[in-house]
This record gives sequence, C-alpha cells and structure tokens, in this order.
Amino acid sequence: MKGTADAYAARKPGIRDWRRGAFVALCIAPAFAFLAAFMYYPIVETFRLSLMRSSGLGGEVFIGIQNYVRLFGDPEFLAGLSHVFSWAFWSVLIQLPLAFAVAFSLTFYMNKATGPLRVVYYLANILPSAITAMLGKFVFGPTNGIIASVASAFGIDWLRSVDFLGNPDIAFWTVFTVATWTYTGFPIVYLMARIEQIPREIREAAELDGATGWNYAVRIVLPAVSYPLRILAVLSVVGSLKLFDLPYLMTSGGPGNATVTLGITLYRQGFVNWQYGKASAIGVVIFVLSLAFTVAQFSWRAKEPE
Amino acid sequence: MKNSMMSSETRMRYGAAESFATVLLVTLALFVLVPLLLPWMFVFKTQLEYAYDPWGWPKAFNTKNFVDAWNVVQLGRGFRNTLIVCLGSILCSLPPAALAGYVFAKYRSRTTEFLFYAVLVGYFVPTQMVLIPLYKMSIAAGLSDTLQGLFLPMAAFNIPFWTMIYRSFFRSLPNDLAEAARIDGAGHAATFFRIMLPLAAPATVLAALLVFIGAWSDYMLSLIMINDQKLFTMQLRVAQFLNSYGVDRMPRYAAAALISAAPTVILYLLGHRWIIRGTLGGALKE
Repeated sequence: MKGTADAYAARKPGIRDWRRGAFVALCIAPAFAFLAAFMYYPIVETFRLSLMRSSGLGGEVFIGIQNYVRLFGDPEFLAGLSHVFSWAFWSVLIQLPLAFAVAFSLTFYMNKATGPLRVVYYLANILPSAITAMLGKFVFGPTNGIIASVASAFGIDWLRSVDFLGNPDIAFWTVFTVATWTYTGFPIVYLMARIEQIPREIREAAELDGATGWNYAVRIVLPAVSYPLRILAVLSVVGSLKLFDLPYLMTSGGPGNATVTLGITLYRQGFVNWQYGKASAIGVVIFVLSLAFTVAQFSWRAKEPE
Repeated sequence: MKNSMMSSETRMRYGAAESFATVLLVTLALFVLVPLLLPWMFVFKTQLEYAYDPWGWPKAFNTKNFVDAWNVVQLGRGFRNTLIVCLGSILCSLPPAALAGYVFAKYRSRTTEFLFYAVLVGYFVPTQMVLIPLYKMSIAAGLSDTLQGLFLPMAAFNIPFWTMIYRSFFRSLPNDLAEAARIDGAGHAATFFRIMLPLAAPATVLAALLVFIGAWSDYMLSLIMINDQKLFTMQLRVAQFLNSYGVDRMPRYAAAALISAAPTVILYLLGHRWIIRGTLGGALKE
C-alpha cells in the first residue's frame, strides 16, 4: 500500500531531490499554460466584463450589476432561460426512461438481433451536429421534407400543412425530437455499461425465485442504476444549459424567440449585437447554473455507498 | 455449459416478451438508421431528376454530385482546413495531458493532488462561458481568423478530460518496471519516455481518435473564431450551404453531408467499442 502511493519518492530522506521537483514542474507546465491562457484567465475576464458596458467598438464603463438587471427584463434571455429548463425537464422525462428501457432490453435479452443493435443506437450520437441539423431539416422541412412528401403522397392534408420549423408553437418540439434522436445514444450506452456490472448471480437468483422480466427490471436493475440515472439527469441539465449547435443550425433560435437557448442569446448578444458586457453576464449565468448542478452531483457521489 | 442451459431456459420463459422487446428495439433502431440512409436516395440524382421526382429511383448512378460538393461547395479546401485543425488539436492536447496525467498518477503529493483538482475544474467549465474573452484575446494576439486561433483553445478544452484519463491509466500501471529502470540509472524523463509512455499507447490511441472526432465535428467554436471563408472548415461549409440553399439543392447537399460525416462514421464503425469506452471513461471512473 505504502509503496504504491508514490513510486519515486526521494531515495534519501532529508535531502530534497531537486531533479524530481524540476521534472514535476516541467511536466505540468504545458497543461497549465494552456489552461491559464484559455480557461482561467477567460473565466476571470468574463466575470469582469459582465460588470462593464462594453461593445465591440471598444471602451468599457463600469456599470455594476446593470447587465444582470437588464437581462432579467429581456424577453429573449427569459425565453432562453425557460427553454433551457423545459428542455432539461423533458430530456429527463422522455430520454432517460427511453434509454433505460432500451439499455435494459439490450442487456436482458441477448439474441441475434440485440447484439448488432447495440452499435446502432450510438451511431446518431457520433455525427457532426451540422449533419444532424441537416437531416432534421430534411425530415421536417416544409416543401420537400420527408414528412411533408409522405403526407402529400397519401393525401393527409392536415399533416402536410404542419409547419414543423416555422410554427412557433411546434418548432421547439421539432428541435427536441431531433435532439432526442441524436442524444439518447449516450444514456443508452452509459446505462448498458452500468447494468452489465450487476453480477450474473443476482439475475440467476431472481430467476430461481420466479421473478418476471418486469419485476427484475423494476426491483433490481432500476435501483442498481438509480445513481447513474441521477448523474445522467445532471448531465442533461448541464447539456441544456450549453445547448447551441442544433437549435442554432435548425432554426437560428426562431421563429421569433421560439427555440432560443442561453447559448444562442449569448451568441446573439456577443457576436451579432456586439454587446460584450451583456453577453458575458449570460456566460456567468450559464456558468453559475452548471456549477450548481455539478456540485449537487458531487455531493451525491460522495454519498454513494462503496 | 451452465450458460447455455441458462439461455435456453430463459428463452422458454421470456419467449413472448423477448420477441416483443426485440421487435420494439428493431423499430427504434430503424428510426435511428433511416434518416442516416436518406441522403443515399438523392446523392446519385441530378438536380433536375430530384426536382421532378424526388422519391424515384435514380436513372443513372452519376457521381457528379460528389465532385461538385468537393469543388463548388469547396469541401476540398474545407477538408484541408479541418485536417489542420484536427492535427493541431491532437498535437496540442495529448502531450500536455500525458505529461500532467503521469505526474498526477506517479508523483503524488499534497501539491500535485491540489493541482490535479485545479485541472479538473476546467472539465466543468462550459465553453460558452468563455467565448467572449477568447474572441477578444484572439484579436489582441493576432490569432483571429487563423486556424491556430481555433485549435489552441480547442486543445485547452480537451486537456482536463484527457489528463484525467491518462492519470487513471498510469495509476493502473505497476511501478516495478519504472523502479527497475531507475535502478539501472534512468532519470525521471527517460523513465517516462522510454518505459511509461509506450505502455500508455492504448490511452494515446484512444485520445487521438476522440480528439480527432471532436475537432472534425466542431461547429460552435469554429463559427466564432473563423470568419474568413478561405479558412472555413468542412462543417462551416456544410452549414453555410444549408443556410443559403436549404434542402432545395438536395443531391449536391447530400453529397456534401456524406463526405463530411464519413470519417466520424467510419471511425465509429471500426472502433465503436473503444470510442464508447473512452467516452464513458470520465463518467465511469471514480
């Protein structure tokens, strides 16, 4: 035990091994150089800028918390905030149960079909988001979209006239559907990995006791993955806070503010309106919210048995 | 023997439920696969064929759309830029992560543990949060509209995760070999480069693979950092084409999409086991 803690502890106690110290310093220097330049400094700078009136033209005036005050009166930001939370809510409510059902069935029933299927579900997850957005637009597009074409081929007029991307009441759900298509692969493979860690004997014992597949899923597997499910829920929330590519590429946040996310408001404020101060305040909001959820995850992690 | 007995017993017991579940799983898999296969229906058609009969069988297999995508959509130039970004990202994120991960695994002290957590913090920082300062910095440093301006921050965002993976990989390696080398007079650096780093080849291959896929697929950071069309990456080209023509020019667009998705899909099909394990690495460890 003692030997494994530090393989290269200084051989002669009492004499400081300067070579060892120099080696350690040289090894961690490159990583810290990158992090300092592209992460630590920008974080501090974001906080500072969020207190300034600052535009792309240059010039900074300290205005205290006015950026934040204005944000909470800005319909676009509020739309982004509420979309992020309803996005997270529906992800947890729809994607996670779906992922659990798929992961359970794939691990519970081993046959010729379920083997290759394991590879399929994650495939949509690996696509570049620009391609996913294109496929989404193509399926839900108004004129030549697949749904519209099929609907007109079968003469289903009401379906053909649905404007999946242009109707503000529907656009959010269209983007959400495409996201479910691409993002559910991750919880599936994650849950599968966790379910496979459950010892075989437990299943054998359950079968000897006459447990049905449903009983086994609900009474044994579900409790066993309750902690991974909570982690996945946190990842969904943090992912929603960061959401940008899909809604931006599919609808640019529109029509109006119908599919705006926090990521898109930040982009619009920072790189369309050139309001650096306001955009930085949005960055701080994203950071604080994701930090809060991540800390919650770690406190669960600490409580997890074993 | 026990296993085969188990499974035949299981089959009898769950027969109906298993068939039902399998049918549902296959249906869901089709929902995943069909949109992926759609571009193939259009990619061999001319624009005229597509306009008159989008769903019919193509009259001839013409590959002109691929050529057009490469030249007119300028994927060829985008390909060069994307490749530079991928290589730069790999070269700038792997060495710092390997070195730091090694020290955090094998030179543990109160200081290095603290520094490890300082690195780990970076893993939880959303890229969105730092976009404005990154953009301002890249202008100040003369890196705006350069490919370095894109792959340097990209590498920085990869470093925390891969430091974590390298750390747990090096921790799983026994110390005996390194100690033997030390007795033979090898210094700290020689032990790392000659003994430990070669042993970490699986982690390095995995890191290179996933960093490549990430850099290849990136959209948001590229959108912010690159405004000069000559430096557009493939994904920016695809998005630009999508925005200007929508799906009206489907055949050419389908070709562009197939080309720009191909490397990630091929790498996934070849190495899905590794890719999934690597992606889960951070979530499953510790």
